[in-house]
Amino acid sequence: MKRFILFAAALVLALPAAPAPVSAQKDTLTVALVSHAPTLDPHMHFERVGILVNINMFDSLLHRSTKLQFEPSLATAWKAISDTQWEFKIRKNVHFHNGEVLTPADVKYSFDRVLDQTKKSPQYGNIRAIKEVKVVDAETVHIITDKPFPLLLERLVFFPIVSKKHVEAVGDQAFGTTSPVGTGPWKFVEWKRDQLIRLEAFDQHWRGKPPFKHLIFRAVPETATQVAEVKTGGVDIIRDVSADLIPELKTHPQAYISSTPILRVHYVNLDMRSAPFDRKPVRQAANYAIDKATVIQKMMAGLGTQVATTVQPLAFGFDPEVKPYAFDARKAKELLAQAGYPNGVDVTLHSSSVAYRPVFEAMAQMLTEVGIRATPRMWDPGPAWNKFLQAEGKATQGMYGTWGNYSVFDADAVLHPLYHNEPGGWIGRWYARVEGLDKLIDEARSTVDQPKRKRLYSQIQQMIREEAPSIFLWTQYDTLGISKKVQYAARPDEWLWLYDAKPAAR
Amino acid sequence: MLSLVTRRLIRLVIVLAGVSLVTFAILQVSGDPIALMMPEAPEADRAVLRQSMGFNDPLPVQFARFLGNIVRGDFGHSFFHREPALPLVLARMPTTLLLTGLAMGLSLAIAVPIGIVSAVRRNSAFDHIATLVVFLGTSMPVFWTGIMLILLFAVRLRVLPVSGWESWAALVLPGATLATFSTPLLLRIVRSGMLEVINLDYVRTARAKGVSEWFVVCRHALTNAALPLVTVAGLQFGLLLGGAIITETVFAVPGLGRLIVGAIRQLDFPIVQAGVFVIALIVVLVNFAVDMLYIYLNPQIRVR
Repeated sequence: MKRFILFAAALVLALPAAPAPVSAQKDTLTVALVSHAPTLDPHMHFERVGILVNINMFDSLLHRSTKLQFEPSLATAWKAISDTQWEFKIRKNVHFHNGEVLTPADVKYSFDRVLDQTKKSPQYGNIRAIKEVKVVDAETVHIITDKPFPLLLERLVFFPIVSKKHVEAVGDQAFGTTSPVGTGPWKFVEWKRDQLIRLEAFDQHWRGKPPFKHLIFRAVPETATQVAEVKTGGVDIIRDVSADLIPELKTHPQAYISSTPILRVHYVNLDMRSAPFDRKPVRQAANYAIDKATVIQKMMAGLGTQVATTVQPLAFGFDPEVKPYAFDARKAKELLAQAGYPNGVDVTLHSSSVAYRPVFEAMAQMLTEVGIRATPRMWDPGPAWNKFLQAEGKATQGMYGTWGNYSVFDADAVLHPLYHNEPGGWIGRWYARVEGLDKLIDEARSTVDQPKRKRLYSQIQQMIREEAPSIFLWTQYDTLGISKKVQYAARPDEWLWLYDAKPAAR
Repeated sequence: MLSLVTRRLIRLVIVLAGVSLVTFAILQVSGDPIALMMPEAPEADRAVLRQSMGFNDPLPVQFARFLGNIVRGDFGHSFFHREPALPLVLARMPTTLLLTGLAMGLSLAIAVPIGIVSAVRRNSAFDHIATLVVFLGTSMPVFWTGIMLILLFAVRLRVLPVSGWESWAALVLPGATLATFSTPLLLRIVRSGMLEVINLDYVRTARAKGVSEWFVVCRHALTNAALPLVTVAGLQFGLLLGGAIITETVFAVPGLGRLIVGAIRQLDFPIVQAGVFVIALIVVLVNFAVDMLYIYLNPQIRVR
């Protein structure tokens, strides 16, 4: 009997892979995301999975090319009139999905909506430097900031413009769930929460019709399932393919891999307020202890770049003259002894970055080998955020984290949240204590004189490399798994700008 | 009989009170809920909200208010979705109930006939294979079974979709995955239940009357063997709801389990509370129904 079962099992496994079902239509592009954002209203969330959907339905004033240059979108031209005032020319004959024509009043309304604090938009902080948006004439808008705001253009790349008339008519709730209306390449059809968002090509889109008529964003939380879907043609694009899965998809007859360096930087923020990381030599020792090249080669499929600080090579202000810490275990031990820990010291490090758990654990082992005996602890993202970055914020000696600047290609977007100590600050106020750093960060963010900002950021990078408020690790790549039916390439800003996706030539 | 039903109903209310207490406690042990709602607000603003939401009142007062709100179906607004929590939870219920119902139906459809045959033909080859399958089924974790089924039927054989909830074909793999988890125990229960009664005097009497063998088995023996089966199936239903959470994640099914898992990750307590409460309510109601069925199936209990 047993033999019969073995035979049956062998038979099933030996069956040849049947050809793919033709269920997936040629004019449909299906993307898998791990989840859906809470709303389709582009102003009322700040989640990557939501932004990726929104950008294909809404336009902003500016667009960013794959080479990271600003391009006209709803604004055809822009210039600074003074340190605190910018002029934007608004594109003419742009239609919303409901047929209305875009006016400067819609642009003003979109900003006012986020600046209105009673609406509690999570994006308020991004643009709170904007004091007023003025409609000058039928095609001109002025944006006035309360002080020089060098990040304005960066912030306008994702700042979707909505229709004043439509939003006021349907109300915020319906706008975010059942009737989102924009000017983008695809218009809304239906949303089944945690299942799919279905969009359809907008014939009157000002760039011209997009190549795919239907665009579907499915919510597929499990990586193994996503990979199976892309292999069988159930979905066309999956994101965040991990290093161990890359070879499998690279060699698959129906799929390929597209990968590109992105902003996201990895680090361990050290609590400089208490022992042992209150001492500079210990922090430097930790930086010398990590063999970054080996981790990148062996654990990240080579898809990473060593960094000297947390300022990313792609960000404005990056100074290539500041070099990464070399791997030097002997020097690390010396520094540790010098700091008064000749026999080593015990520390606990925390992380909620599930995808990089093996890397985190390997790193803890490398620290242990030079005498910083690190116990790595994993957390769920929610509780970790609550515990380490909220009310208590002191339960840890170090926290492994990654920062993607919310796609703002400027040093300020990583330095301020990570190191600034102001009460409203994000991570920095619980960890970093570098004398004089706050002042430099403030100075660099309050001028639009780019050469001056560049000098300030060089100074900051030298300073933090020396003071080592973090263990500086690497920047990662964004890796997409794509079906061979579709032509598309990963972008440095991690966007899925699907207007650029095309059916593959057969 | 009425008094028995009444007693069961009272027990149901007590259990529900316990469930509400646990649900209430979820929020209390989570730390400061106001800090979660307004992460970037200054402490003064938080204090105002804390006062206005009654978080400064004594715990018993808060619990009483919580109970009052539950009765009115008000679990508060989801922090994440900014919508009332209960409707969000209820909107996901049909999907999860369809999945668990399907799995339960499939389990029973497999377990009952195979269990009966195993008992009647004890120690036959068939019985041994059934036992083997039981061991296989109980020893495989749900997520692993799910991924294996995907690899075999969707990637290798290409006969079923990998995941989703858009067609009837998509229900097959998640339903089967969940059923492999619940079938083995049910099969054991049917088999042992049947073995217990199959040699009793009344069965022998029925046979002696010349009734056909299968009628004896199905009408006389199975009715008695069904008692433990019904109890265990009721308990299994609760476990299936738990298993559904994993199954929904693996197969991208837009059910209640995923809503709750997402809510836990985002510390979205109104959703967690409403979800836990609704699931507990369903489990309690199913077990109440089992009790009632038990009374119907076993006249002895009625008399007692």
